[in-house]
Amino acid sequence: MTRRRLRAVAAAAIALFWPLSAVGQEPYPSRPITLVAPFPPGGVADLTARPVAAALERVLKNPVGVVNKTGAAGAVGMQFVATSKPDGYTLLLALSSISIIPEADKIFGRPPAFTVDQFAPIALVSADPTILVVRAESPWKTAKEFIEDAGKRPGQISYSSSGIYGTLHMAMELLSHAAGVRLRHIPTPGAGPALTAILGGHVDALASGPAVILPHVKSGKLRALAGWGDRRVAALPDVPTFKELGYPDAEFYIWAGVFAPKGTPEPVLARLREAMRGAVADAEFKAAMDKLQTPIAFKQGADFQAFFDADARRLADGVRKVGRVEDKK
Amino acid sequence: MLETLGNLGLGFSVALSPPILLYAFVGCLVGTMVGVLPGVGPLAGISLLLPATFGLDATRAIVMLAGIYYGAMYGGSTTSILMRIPGEAASVMTCIDGYAMARRGRGGAALAIAAVGSYVAGTLSVVGLMFLAPPLAAFALRFGPPEYLALLLLGLLVLAYMSSGSMLKSLAMAAFGLLLGMVGIDQMSGYFRFAYGVVELGDGLGVVPVAVGLFGVAEILATAGQPAPPEVIKPRLRELLPSRREWRESSAPIARGTLLGFLIGILPGSAHVISSFVSYAVEKRLSRRPQEFGHGAVAGVAGPESANNAATSGAMVPMLALGVPSGPIPAVMLAAMMVHGVSPGPLLIQQQPALFWGFIASMYVGNVVLLILNLPLVGLFVNILRVPYPYLYPAILVFSILGVYAVNGSVVDVWIMVAMGILGWLLRKLEFETAPIVLGLVLAPMIELSLRQSLAMSDGHYGIFVQRPIAAALLAVGLTLVLMNLYAFVRRGLDWRSRIAMAERGEDSS
Amino acid sequence: MRAERVSGTALALLAALVLEECWRLRLPLGTLANPGPAYVPAILALALLGAGALIVALGRDTTTLGAAGWREWRHALAIVAGCAFVALALERLGYRLTMALACAFLLGVVERKGPVVTALFAAGLAAGTYFVFDTLLRVPLPRGPFGL
Repeated sequence: MTRRRLRAVAAAAIALFWPLSAVGQEPYPSRPITLVAPFPPGGVADLTARPVAAALERVLKNPVGVVNKTGAAGAVGMQFVATSKPDGYTLLLALSSISIIPEADKIFGRPPAFTVDQFAPIALVSADPTILVVRAESPWKTAKEFIEDAGKRPGQISYSSSGIYGTLHMAMELLSHAAGVRLRHIPTPGAGPALTAILGGHVDALASGPAVILPHVKSGKLRALAGWGDRRVAALPDVPTFKELGYPDAEFYIWAGVFAPKGTPEPVLARLREAMRGAVADAEFKAAMDKLQTPIAFKQGADFQAFFDADARRLADGVRKVGRVEDKK
Repeated sequence: MLETLGNLGLGFSVALSPPILLYAFVGCLVGTMVGVLPGVGPLAGISLLLPATFGLDATRAIVMLAGIYYGAMYGGSTTSILMRIPGEAASVMTCIDGYAMARRGRGGAALAIAAVGSYVAGTLSVVGLMFLAPPLAAFALRFGPPEYLALLLLGLLVLAYMSSGSMLKSLAMAAFGLLLGMVGIDQMSGYFRFAYGVVELGDGLGVVPVAVGLFGVAEILATAGQPAPPEVIKPRLRELLPSRREWRESSAPIARGTLLGFLIGILPGSAHVISSFVSYAVEKRLSRRPQEFGHGAVAGVAGPESANNAATSGAMVPMLALGVPSGPIPAVMLAAMMVHGVSPGPLLIQQQPALFWGFIASMYVGNVVLLILNLPLVGLFVNILRVPYPYLYPAILVFSILGVYAVNGSVVDVWIMVAMGILGWLLRKLEFETAPIVLGLVLAPMIELSLRQSLAMSDGHYGIFVQRPIAAALLAVGLTLVLMNLYAFVRRGLDWRSRIAMAERGEDSS
Repeated sequence: MRAERVSGTALALLAALVLEECWRLRLPLGTLANPGPAYVPAILALALLGAGALIVALGRDTTTLGAAGWREWRHALAIVAGCAFVALALERLGYRLTMALACAFLLGVVERKGPVVTALFAAGLAAGTYFVFDTLLRVPLPRGPFGL
């Protein structure tokens, strides 16, 4: 009886302390990794996160699962990762809104849900430039005509967006400032309703990611005027960029990148970066991104940092210039 | 027409092929299991199970997702009727009369009517979808913020019909629900309203935790401590199916619910949630025995359930015809298609006829499968009520918490559910109705957003509401209804008071 | 205390609180042509205030607060406590452990059923639902220490 109890106690002790002893000795990764997608299933971030997770799993030979933590335009998921343990088992697939949300919090005087320096960037996966579309029946055939008209009638041309301070809104704002025009903003609760609004003729223009509007441009319902990228989109070779048209400040990408919480140990970060390199070269990953019509734009290390910093600065500037919409009325 | 039928034949040949049929069946089964979870409705069901479909090819994935979608709707009715826990926001109205029927021993009948009504509505609306998709979709797109606002204000009128008790108290609850809907990020200006630093409240109080709390948890809090267990008349086997009278009473509501639900469902946005509320109001208005509503009126189950299902198919119309995601559920389906390389759009029908018609055919098949799954299970489900209450309610609580948590993976939702449970319990004691709160919560953000969007579109001029024909028409209808009601209310009020006076005099003299 | 007076006053107080919060958070009111974030909440709060006042004024002063029947309040409080425990512990102790403990509390302590039945039921329900939803349907449920 006593020996059995002794064995039981020993087993319990080992069971209790074993995990503790293993910490610090286990190679990374040895547990399932969670990739947090801060948007609901079916959204851009989610659809990008899944192939990334699948490819990472193949490269690391370790399960990588996607978890959707939705809410507050991504703030909930981003805050979750920012405050989670920096052990490399919780990663974030963030969109460009990661730079917008803390700025927006600042101008409203709120304590920020998270800050950009709570994250360690790992890799950029895709960078879709936004495209300006108008309805096929509208009178503007080129971006120049559109901008000229906007200049003549300030505040009369309306556009929809996926929400205030959202990616589609900021793209238009950058253009407005670069071209010196004033447009009328109609926020909608998401990219889907924004698209519905323009298709139904309730707004005049929309800045959108290319994948979403491509079928409608091809079927003739929408007309693409110009893009916010630094080069033309492969699927729309006749559409110039705002850079070409003389507005170099109108540069905006809906990009997706993988981040880890700051404080994750260097060897883990290095392993993840190496894994991302492998993931992006993976054939299945390429095929999946092809199906989504999202070109892969891989950046790492100093490249990514530079891109991220420049983008963050642009967006923070843009948000500050927008300011508090209510104050301007 | 012939071409459509030919295409449908193609579709059926795809849908009835054994592997596709298998996936449809699995989807329906899984959807029902998920839908039975309180609070997990079709949207949550599809979102949760979307990843499981990534390994499949496009047609199978879509067919399975459609099965999950329908299954979740059917499963949601089960918990609404048997335990007064709404499967999702749209099932709230079924809770009211369905549960009352279950208490009276007519639970089996209620479940059967819900299943058949859903089947009829689902099938008929798929027919509508097939033939009317393109013109309807074009019409639906013309619904912009002003039209939306007019429609939602009409929806508010529904409140007048939801109360079986004091109208004033119902209005107060509606105002309260509308206020609850104001929590969260204001989408026009970016301000956080009433969120107090809790980031998860940025999207507002979810309808799911509020509905499950107000109805399900409150019911448990009120009943668990009663000295006598809640009396549920256990039905005999014979009495499981609806009587002939009940079938007769449900046929017209099913027809009306189908039409109403389909029309509301095709509109972009989340308007389809109000389809069951509007159907309830219509049925109550047209019924010869309106006082039955709230205490187990058959029409109160048949109408909303059919409207619900029809709205589900209606929501697919803009998605399939134009490739436009008209709401969160079609958006997820669209995403599923995109992941499999199918680019949805106006050309979908031409480019991918097998997928499109296979999908339509599988919707028929899915409805049949669910009817076959659910009707025999009615007996099984009703027997759940026989489990002694002290064992039943912890299980219900576990499922409720699981369901509410699973939707967003957020403990904040569980807290909201608990708080709403306490509130619902208090409100029951004070004789307030809780359904208007849910309606208010759902409508408020949409109404406010549509109003401010419309004003932004028109640069502050209220004339936009009468300049646009559809909006003006809807507002006119609403105004007429209000005037009619006021007139009837005043007249009824006079009648009613004189009747009470006569009764009092009668009592005094006897 | 009359039931209607209590409820009406409570609603009116809530409405007043909302108005005060709008003021404190300095939510801009905007104009009729351009409503700000405080506009619609303020209107609704005023409506609720009016409704509460009317309830107090027009209420049938016949029912007292006690008459509603509050017998089960202790029971209800225990259930609420159980749910609150689940909310607190769900992500810390993991799904299965939390649910098992909560069920055991409800069945064993509140309903006073026997220990064997309680243990079986609690463990079975927790493990069973976890299996169906997390393992089979892949709905992510939180895990706690010891992988529970």
